[in-house]
Amino acid sequence: MSIDWITVAAQIANFLVLVWLLRRFLYRPILDGIDAREAQITQRMSEAAGIRAQAEEAEARHEAEIARLKAGREGVLAEVRDEAEAERDALLSGARERLEAEQAAREAARKDEARRFAADLELRGASALVALLRKALNDLAGETLEERIVARAAGRLPAMAGDLAEAAGASHEAIVTTQDALPEALQKQLAQQIREALPHIDVQFETDTAQSPGLSLRVGGAQLGWTVASYTDGLQAILEDAHKARGVPDAA
Amino acid sequence: MQLTPDEMILFTIAGYGVNATIVFTWAVMAILTGASMIITWNLRPDVPPNRWRTVLEAIVLTIQGQIDEISAQPDRRLLYFSGTLFLFIITSNMLAIVPGWQAPTASLSTTAGLALAVLVAVPLFGIGSRGLGGYLHSYMEPNIIMLPFNIIGEASRGISLAIRLYGNVMSGAVIAAILLGVAPFFFPVVMDMLGLLTGVIQAYIFAILATVYISSATAAPDAPTAKEQT
Repeated sequence: MSIDWITVAAQIANFLVLVWLLRRFLYRPILDGIDAREAQITQRMSEAAGIRAQAEEAEARHEAEIARLKAGREGVLAEVRDEAEAERDALLSGARERLEAEQAAREAARKDEARRFAADLELRGASALVALLRKALNDLAGETLEERIVARAAGRLPAMAGDLAEAAGASHEAIVTTQDALPEALQKQLAQQIREALPHIDVQFETDTAQSPGLSLRVGGAQLGWTVASYTDGLQAILEDAHKARGVPDAA
Repeated sequence: MQLTPDEMILFTIAGYGVNATIVFTWAVMAILTGASMIITWNLRPDVPPNRWRTVLEAIVLTIQGQIDEISAQPDRRLLYFSGTLFLFIITSNMLAIVPGWQAPTASLSTTAGLALAVLVAVPLFGIGSRGLGGYLHSYMEPNIIMLPFNIIGEASRGISLAIRLYGNVMSGAVIAAILLGVAPFFFPVVMDMLGLLTGVIQAYIFAILATVYISSATAAPDAPTAKEQT
C-alpha cells in the first residue's frame, strides 16, 4: 500500500474537472430546469388564481344579473297583472253599466208601453162608457147626454150665481167649452140660463177635442165643469185594481 | 496480486506512465458527463421531462435534500462539490461488477486525492462564508489551548476519510479476488453483491462527512452545529 503523489495530483485535477463538467452539464441544467418549471407552475397557479377570481367575479355579476332580470320579470308580471285586472274591472264595469242601461231602457220602454196601453185602454173604456151612456139615455129616456148635462148645469147655476158673480169680477165674458159643438137650441137654452144668473155676462161657445165629453164654464178666474172625466177616472181606478189583482204592474 | 490499480500502467504520455487509476477515473468522468449531456441536451421548460431527466432530477434533488438537512446554510456550490464526490465514488464502486473494471476508489492515491480535496475545500468554504479571521479563530475555540488539537483533528479527518474509503473498496475487491480462486461459482457473486452495498454506503458516508465538515466550517459560531455521521 503506497501513495503515488503524481496520481494523487492527477486525481485531484480530475475531480475538479469533473466538478466543473457536472456543474456545466448536470447540476445547472437540471436545477435551472426545475427552477424554471417551478416558476412556470407558480406563474400558472397565479394565472389560475387570477382566472378563478375573474370567474368568481363573472359568476357574481351573472348571479346579480339573473336576480335583476328575475326581479324585473316579476315587476313586469305584476304590472301586467295589475293592468289586466284594471282592464277586467273596466270591462266588467262597462258591461254592468251597459246592462243596467239596457235594463233601464227596457224598463222605461215597458213602462211607456204600459202607460200608452193604459191610456189607450182608458180612452177606449171612456169612449165605450160614454157611448153606452148615450145609448142608455137615448133608449131609456129619449134624451142626449148633452141635453142632460145642459139641463143639469142650468139647474145648478142659480144656486151658484153669487159665487160666479164674485169670481167674474170685472170680466163680462163667460166661455162654455165642449168636445163637440152643441146644438144651437142647447146653446140658446144654456146662454139664457147663464145670463139669468149673470145678467152682464156675454156667453161664448168653444170646442176642445181634448176635453172630456160634457161642458166646462169659465167665468173670470172660476171654472165649473160637468164632464165624464171624473167617471172615466173611476173607470181607470177600477182597471188598475183589476190589473193589480191579476199581478200586472202599475201602468202609471 | 495487485492491491492497487496504481501499479497497472496502461500507457505512457511524454515518459509518464498512465496507470489504471487515472484511466478508469477518466472513464467514470466520461460516463457521468456523457450521460448528463445526453439527458440534458434538449432540456427546455416547455418540454415535459422524460423518464431519464426525471431520474436525474430525483438524484440531484435527493442529494440537495440531504445537504439541506445537514447544512444550516444551503449553498449550491456545496451541492456541486459533495454531489460530485458522491456520484464519482458510487459510479466507480458500482462499476466493479463489470469484469476487468478497476475501481479508482480502490486506489489509496484516489481516496487520498479526494480527501485532500475535502481538506482544501473545508477552509475555502469556511473562509468564503465567515472570512479568514473568523475561520482561523474557529481553531482556537473554545480556547487557544485547543489549537493543536483542532489542527490534529482536521488532519485526521482527511486521513480517516481516505483510509476508510480505500480500505472498504480495496478490501472488497481483494476478498472477491481471493474467493474467486477458492470457490469460483458462488462466493464471488455474493461478495460482489456485498461489495455493491458497501460501495453505495461508502459513497454516501464519504459525501456526507465531507458535507458535514464543510458545513461545520461555514456555520456561524452561534448557529446549531451540524451533526456528524460516521
